[in-house]
Amino acid sequence: MTLPATLQSNRITFDDPLSVQEHFHSRGWTDGLPIVPPTPDAVTACLDWAGLPAEHLVGVEPVRGRGLTAEKIAVNAVMAGCLPMHFPVVVTAVAAMLAEPFLLHGSTASTGGSAILLIVNGPIRNEIGMDATFNALGPSDRASTCIGRAVRLVLGNLLEVRPGEIDRSTFGHPGKISWCMAEDEEHSPWISLAEERLGDPHVSAVTAMAAMAPRQLMNEWTTDPEEILDTFVAEIKANMRHYSIWAGNYAIVIPPQLRQHFAAAGWSKSDIQNYVFEQARIRRGEWADCGKGAIVHGKDDQEYAALPDPSHLLVIAAGGPAGGFGAVIPPWLGHKSRAATMAVGACVDC
Amino acid sequence: MSIEVLDPTYGDGLAGAGSQEFALAERLETLAGATVGFISNGKQGTVRFFDALERELIAQYGVAHVVREVKSNYSAPADPDILDRAKEWNALVSGIGD
Repeated sequence: MTLPATLQSNRITFDDPLSVQEHFHSRGWTDGLPIVPPTPDAVTACLDWAGLPAEHLVGVEPVRGRGLTAEKIAVNAVMAGCLPMHFPVVVTAVAAMLAEPFLLHGSTASTGGSAILLIVNGPIRNEIGMDATFNALGPSDRASTCIGRAVRLVLGNLLEVRPGEIDRSTFGHPGKISWCMAEDEEHSPWISLAEERLGDPHVSAVTAMAAMAPRQLMNEWTTDPEEILDTFVAEIKANMRHYSIWAGNYAIVIPPQLRQHFAAAGWSKSDIQNYVFEQARIRRGEWADCGKGAIVHGKDDQEYAALPDPSHLLVIAAGGPAGGFGAVIPPWLGHKSRAATMAVGACVDC
Repeated sequence: MSIEVLDPTYGDGLAGAGSQEFALAERLETLAGATVGFISNGKQGTVRFFDALERELIAQYGVAHVVREVKSNYSAPADPDILDRAKEWNALVSGIGD
């Protein structure tokens, strides 16, 4: 076979696909699961689908000054199981993560152990078969799982964000294997997350957030939006008391059974953001109730808000049709990393 | 039938065009009479560690001056003004601590 002239990565030849697996595992190039062998043809197919030359610079990791090329990202996307049609989402996710306010190095190196949550909006969700309903925060469909995994392999192989190397997480959480979801725009009374953040109702986009593990809640015993949100707020406040008090991007995921009550009451995403902004606050003295009295330092009445302002709350419509559940996804260490939203197909350096 | 695959790592030398390669500074022959800077990440646990390191460097190695700086964001690189001042130092310790 003639290799495409544009691909520059080192090429390695094996006798059979099983040998590829063992070689890649032995070098620490995988997440422990089997990978798809990144053949030149498969990598080229990804690049062709996205219309990107191999040498295209998707972005530069700002702390270590590493430029990440489309070719290297494609190699890892293929390994993760991505089809060519998934690749534009992977590229967009990586570009969003490389935005300076995201602070990729800090959020992936920290002992805090956050994962990168990707939220996909727009027509591309349906084109690649993403499902925003059942098991929305888990492995709901092939595209979501492979795209989330691709990002994790990119971190490991291109930035050495591997456990014990750059990744110093004390615990981490299962979202670090793969964490990508779509918003359920078709069954939502609200504007999408991407429209809210980019101002375009037709855009396909990816939002990346340095996210702690989701905290699930349940309240199916009221139809009052304020009472429903009080349960979300209680979970946010618990996170502030037990984990981190610092304000930042919180995400809340609201399923259809609860969304219908907000729709009936005429509540917009903005109404939800404003209510949570006002209510999600704790006093420093509350730390003494949960064993952290040593750091109250006499400032018992000092108040802390979960959100720097209402727009920092990412309100996401997703989840299966039945169940009055919800999820709060806390940020990694407050405002140090800010969620970044990037349009699919946007060029950041041209 | 053989199978050919591509190296997935950054380490095979295929750096993106925007990459900056960092190199270690030249090693000092001696610390005697040197000015050594400490860049702390700002976490509480660094204070006692750097206090002890300062004492050791002066007592054991004859370091003339120790300059202490603290980053404004412990997860981000050092602030530009700190890096400007660092140009005046002979050596620096960029320590992490928790």
